Parts: sequence; structure tokens; C-alpha cells
Amino acid sequence: MQGLVKDLATLLGPTQILSQPEEMLAYANDATHYFKSRIPDAVVLPHTTEEVAKIMKYAFAKQIPVTPRGAGSGLAGGCTPVHGGIVMDLKRLNQIIEIDGSNMTARVETGVVLKRFQDTVEKRKLFYPPDPQSGSVCTIGGNVATRAGGPRGVKYGTTGNYVTGLEVVLPDGSIITPGGKFVKQSVGYDITHLMTGSEGTLGVITGVNLRLLPLPEANRTVVVVCETVEQAAEIVAEITGRGAVPAMLEFLTKIAITVMNQYFFPPLSADGEGYLFMFFDGTEAQVEYETKLVDEICRDMKAKEVRVIEDPRVAEVYWSARANVYPMIQTIFERATTEDITVPRNKLPELVRAVQAIAAAEGVMIGLAGHAGDGNMHPSVLFPQVTPEALEKSEIAIDKLIRAGLDMGGTISGEHGIGIHKAKYLAWELGDIQIELMKRIKQAFDPRGIMNPGKIWMEDGDNNA
Amino acid sequence: MLRLEDYEKIIQKCSHCSYCQSTCPSYLTEQSESSVAKNRLLIIKETLMHKNLPFTPRAQEILDSCLLCTNCTQTCSSKVPIDDIIIAARIKTGQKGVGGIKQFVMGKMLTQRGLTGALGKAGSLAQKLGIATKEIPQLASKSFDKMYSGTYTPTGTIKKRVAYFVGCGTNFIFPDTGEAVVKVLNHNGIEVIIPKGQVCCGIPALGEGDLEGARSMVETNVNLFAGLDVDAIVTDCTSCGMMFKEKAAKCLPDDDPLQEKIAAVTAKIWEVTDYLQNQGLEVPPEPLDVTWSYHVPCHRGWSPTVKDAPRQLLAQIPDAKLKEFDNPEQCCGGAGTYFMEHREIAEKIRASRLLDLNNTVSDAVLTQCPVCRFYIGFQVTDREVTHPIKILARAYGL
Repeated sequence: MQGLVKDLATLLGPTQILSQPEEMLAYANDATHYFKSRIPDAVVLPHTTEEVAKIMKYAFAKQIPVTPRGAGSGLAGGCTPVHGGIVMDLKRLNQIIEIDGSNMTARVETGVVLKRFQDTVEKRKLFYPPDPQSGSVCTIGGNVATRAGGPRGVKYGTTGNYVTGLEVVLPDGSIITPGGKFVKQSVGYDITHLMTGSEGTLGVITGVNLRLLPLPEANRTVVVVCETVEQAAEIVAEITGRGAVPAMLEFLTKIAITVMNQYFFPPLSADGEGYLFMFFDGTEAQVEYETKLVDEICRDMKAKEVRVIEDPRVAEVYWSARANVYPMIQTIFERATTEDITVPRNKLPELVRAVQAIAAAEGVMIGLAGHAGDGNMHPSVLFPQVTPEALEKSEIAIDKLIRAGLDMGGTISGEHGIGIHKAKYLAWELGDIQIELMKRIKQAFDPRGIMNPGKIWMEDGDNNA
Repeated sequence: MLRLEDYEKIIQKCSHCSYCQSTCPSYLTEQSESSVAKNRLLIIKETLMHKNLPFTPRAQEILDSCLLCTNCTQTCSSKVPIDDIIIAARIKTGQKGVGGIKQFVMGKMLTQRGLTGALGKAGSLAQKLGIATKEIPQLASKSFDKMYSGTYTPTGTIKKRVAYFVGCGTNFIFPDTGEAVVKVLNHNGIEVIIPKGQVCCGIPALGEGDLEGARSMVETNVNLFAGLDVDAIVTDCTSCGMMFKEKAAKCLPDDDPLQEKIAAVTAKIWEVTDYLQNQGLEVPPEPLDVTWSYHVPCHRGWSPTVKDAPRQLLAQIPDAKLKEFDNPEQCCGGAGTYFMEHREIAEKIRASRLLDLNNTVSDAVLTQCPVCRFYIGFQVTDREVTHPIKILARAYGL
């Protein structure tokens, strides 16, 4: 691939190309490092849309695979270059171009880190809610490409609900700008939202228009320890039934709390079956009302423990532990693989029981954490040791889990995307006709098949995992 | 024992979550995943552990470009001891020729404290060694150990007795910090013992992969301090504190007879503001009209309270006001001797740090790290850059 690197050097500066294996190891996969990984032939680090377009024109002419990449923190293998070629690291396109307070909109380059963007708009009393829990590193472009969600989905929706326009470099290097700085548009096919969630398979997202909300003036965190999963579900039903809408409503099981408890003082009671972390935001009066209501409901329903946390610094400890639960779990297990099943909210106890039954039947450990507010759960198979037998059992268990979720009227992925991780299950949910339609869309955008090949659907019966 | 083979299991705990990208200064400057903790671990795994790839000069360069600031280790929820693994890799690969000023500092100055006398009076190391860089710290005209040694007893009741480990930064460059430490402790009824014969804590040697050098310094210091009848051992430097608390024991085999003494020292080591805040001030400070900002040193992970200690301690000075930086924990790029060998990247890291510093109006920038103090101080000339203990001393009129 010496020719490739030579060619790239005519398009970009020397600090914008990586080609030695030792400098590209991190680019061989994302946070699903246990799936098939491959060191790319080269990594490019463009600074501008024009540079992205130059590279695409070149790759199109030479028919070289291109895998766009944000932070590399994804959980579906979406940015793993399974067919080699060029990885396009977009983190240097990192300018916040505009924050328009009067229109409540923003325009950013694709590589802007989510937390930096949120901090910036919050200084102006504006609010960008989507938060896939990796905000300190993940990029807005990556969020758009995976239609990322997070705990705030219950009240505020996910990334897709905030994207109003894009700048996209198509595989042949041409640049399009679907949508724009408006919250309504009824002009033909909605390419903006077709690109959103397309996982780098249709083109390279280089710019994003977002809509913003006013920053809620107050917030409060409530943590509840429940005797049983059913009790947790009943509490959730009661809270939402009585009109309180938490901005975040997280459900965790004991195993997650075991690793998180080191950060809490005093530690949470470790003998609950279900744990709820709730966050209310809005006006001071509204937050006060909702918090009191929830406190009352939890006490009436005899929850084991209710903590109303007033101090934002203490609340931050709970939410930071929540955001870090995935890497934290690695401290006690050799591996954890995370699923992303989403079911209607009232099916939550049924899903939890199904998870427990499958874990018992297959002899695997499955931890459970997720966004109870919107029914998006993350069962994680936990491997004390990774052995061929454990991997086989795990695959059977995951197959059953996915089937159970679908049978409850759910979906295989609420927010992570398909990548290589869930390609095997795509047909279970969508059926052949939808997949064929998707392939024809892909063909229309990417006739030479160079954009992030090997993703979303199976290739010749292989999911590349 | 910082042997690479001991980390083969724990290195697998890296879940590639990429959260190290949020705090790694070299990554944040280069904006390339080549230069982040995750990739450094992969290099170590693939080249030195599993030997799937050769250990190339480029691999060496990427490992060398780590500042050992420990921000990744502090960020890592999977609790991979990333800085220890990088140190172990540097020990394993051996150091390539370090030359010039760095070799002088590493090889002689830090292990033989008497040597500065031979260098003559005030002047910069650079001038002495004929190195043309303005950004080398000026040596004090008289090192701290030439002025202070032995026991300093407060007037009145002795409430506590501490031993003072004097780091090289204080000894050679900022003896004013040491003077303030002794006076403030005495003022609060704390007796201070400064044992003779102290040497560098060993962290710069360890960072270079010089395990033997670090071990010898640990031995010298631990033998000096372990037997003392004191309530605590204080240091004014967060990096020295980290060396004693977290690294010293790793420089020797687990069954080494010295481990017991190391444990005795480790149990008593405190950063001085952390110690004072923990003990409570005996004497309330007088008002001092100063607005200060706090640059938190990177080597803060070894004590859960060290980063808030100056904030809480100086909050007790009437009229002193804290003006927080936007990112108080952002690395300045100095990192021991890093700024000498990696000038370009260190300067880029600092330039990014200075944006925040220059946007924050205050009379003084305070930090417990002597390297941050001079490395920031080279560029921040409109206000004082100093150790928080100096502000407390001033409030006491000492």
C-alpha cells in the first residue's frame, strides 16, 4: 500500500497521514475491540470539508474503502475498517461555527466533542440534550452517524430529533447540504434524516445544524433502591402516570451498583434487586414539585431507600459513575459485551425477568443497566473468563435475548447502531424486503461500495464480527 | 516491581472506551489517536508483550511522547495503571542516550545535592551548560538545604511533629516555598524536622525508565525518614508525594526487607496544604486582599483531598478570593524534564493551557508543582505564579 500513502501525501500535509502499523493500532476497532479488528492501510486526518472531498474523490477513483471515524468510542463496531483501506479520522474538524441564540440553533463541524459543545451552549443558557454518556470524548458527527441516544431520551428524544441539516461529502467527492437552519422542511425525501444513523455507509458527515432548547433553570437527582424489579417498574409507572417526566430515568441492577458503590457515600444498600437513578429538570417550582411527588410515591410504595440529592456536586458523582459503568465493569470481569434492546416501557419487568431466565438457563452472567424511561436496556454478558465454551453460551444467550426483545414489540438497537455487532440480527427485525430496500438506497449513494463496507447487514452470510 | 510481564493481564482491562481522549494532553494537542493512552497500551501489548510487531523507533517515539501526567490513569474507569505500564515499558526498552542538560540534571544534580555549590552562585543552568534556551529555570542563589536543616521548633506548645521531605524544585529553584512551609507549620504549633542527606524522590529517574536510579533514591530517603518519631511526613510537591505514596514500593521486589520501611513512610506522607487542611489551622490567618486562581497539578491522584486542600485552606483567609479557571486541572506541558526533550509539543500543550489562564483575571496563579510553577511562569509575567503555602505565609505576616 506504499502507493496509497504516496498518493495521499499529494493530497494532505505530512502530519495528516498515518501509515505505520504502530501508529494505527487504535484505529483497528472501536470499544468493541473483542470483535474482528483490522489495522487500516492508512489513516487520514483532514482539517476541512474540502480535504475530505479530495480524499473521497481519490478513493472513489481508485475504489478504496473509506471508514469515517469520530471518537472511536462506539459500541457496535461501526467504525472498524473491516475491509482495510482508509480510515478517515474526523476529529480535527472541530470548530463550533455558530450558536444562534435568537433562532435557538447551532452549526458545528463534525468532530466537535459533545461535552465541549454542551458546555459552550450552556454558558449562553441554551441546552442540547442528547447525551450518550460518552460526552467527554464522543463527537457530534459520530452521534449523528449512529443516531446516538442516552438517558435523556425519555423526555428529550435522541440526536435525530435535534438534527435539522447536514453537510455531507458523497462517495464521489461532491458536497451536499440537505436540510438547514430551520426546524421545519417539507421538500422531497428527507436526506438529512436518512444520513442520520447511516453509520458512515452513505457518505461522510462533515457539518451539522442542530436545534437547541432553553437551559432548564433547576434540576434535582433522586436515587431509589427497590426490593424487586417489579417494584422498580411499578414506581416508574406510578411516577409517569402521575405526570412527572424525568429528564433521565435509569435502571440498574445489583452488579452495576457493586462496582459503582465505591464512589457513593454512604454506599447504596447492596441488597436491592433494582435501582433507579432519576433526574428532574425544569423551573425551580416544577422540579420541587416533581421531586416531592417522587419521594412520596417511593415512600408510599415502600422502596428500600430514597435519596433526594440537592447538592449538584454530589449528584455529579452519581451520574459520572453511571456514565462510566461500562468501563468500570471491566475491573471485575475479563470481558463485557453490551446489547441495546429497546422495548415498550411497560414491558420492562418482563424483559428483566426474561434476561434473568435466559442467564440461568444458559449458565451465563448478564448484568443489566439501561434507560428505564424509554425502555432501552443494555443487558451485558459478563465473562469472568473468556473461553470458547463461554463464548458459545454467550452467543446462544444473546440470540435468545434479542428474540425475546423482538417478541415484546421491541427493537434490536435503541441507540448504538448495528455496525458489525448486530448485523446478524438485522433480518430478524427488518425482514428481507426492508433490507433489500436499504441495499438499493446504499447503491444509489455509493455505487462503488467504498463507504464503510461490511456494515449493517451480513455479507455472504458473514457479519464480520 | 514494574516488570512489564506483570501487567499482561491488567492491560487486557482496557475496554477501548476511549475516555482517555478526554484528558491526555498529548492526544488533545496532536488530535490523533496514535498519541493517546489507548494506543500506547496497544503498542506495548503488540510489540513488547505479544511481539506481533517489531518495536520500531516510531513506537519508541510514541511511548516517549507520554508526559506521565497520570491523567489517563485517573480517568480510566477500568482502572488500568497506564502510567505504571508505560514506566515498565521504558524500563524494559532501556533509555536511549539522554544528553546535555537533561543528563546532567538526571545524573548528578538530583542525586548529589551538594553539587550546586560547585556551580557557583545564581545563574541559569542553561548558561552554565551553554545551552541556548531561555526556558530553563533559574537556580536560586542558595539552595534550601544550605539554609535549612535540622529541627525547627515552634514557640509555645508543640501540637505535632512532622518531617519535611524537600523536593528538588524547592531545594534548587524555589527555596522560598520551603521557607514558607517551615514558618507556616511552626506558626501553627508544628515542629519541623528536616533530615540531612535527602536526595531526589526518584520520580524523574523512574519516568526515564531508570529503575536502578529510582530505587537507590528511594532507599536513601526511606532510610532517612522511616525511623523518625513524627506524626507525618510532609512535602510541598505533589509529584514527590505521588512518588512516595504510589511508586516507591514498586521500585523494589515485594519481599524486599525495605518494604516495611517504605510502608511506614507511605502511611505518613502528605502534601503540606493537604496536611494543614486535614489538621485544621491552629491560628486563623489575617485578612489578605488577593484574588487567586488555582492550577491543579496533574499528580493529584494519590490523595483524594489534595486538589481541594488549597481551595479550602486559603478560603480561611479573609478577603482572599478564589477565581477558578474554566479547566483548573488542564496540564501545562512542563511534566518534569519533558519540556526540555519535547519542546514543541510541550509548548503546544502550554499554549492551550494559557488560553484559560489568560481569560481568568486574578492576582496570582497558585500550584503545588514546582515544574508547573516555572513552566507557566515563563509565560505568565503579569502576575505572581507561586505555591499556595506562600499566600498563607503572607496572610500570617511571616
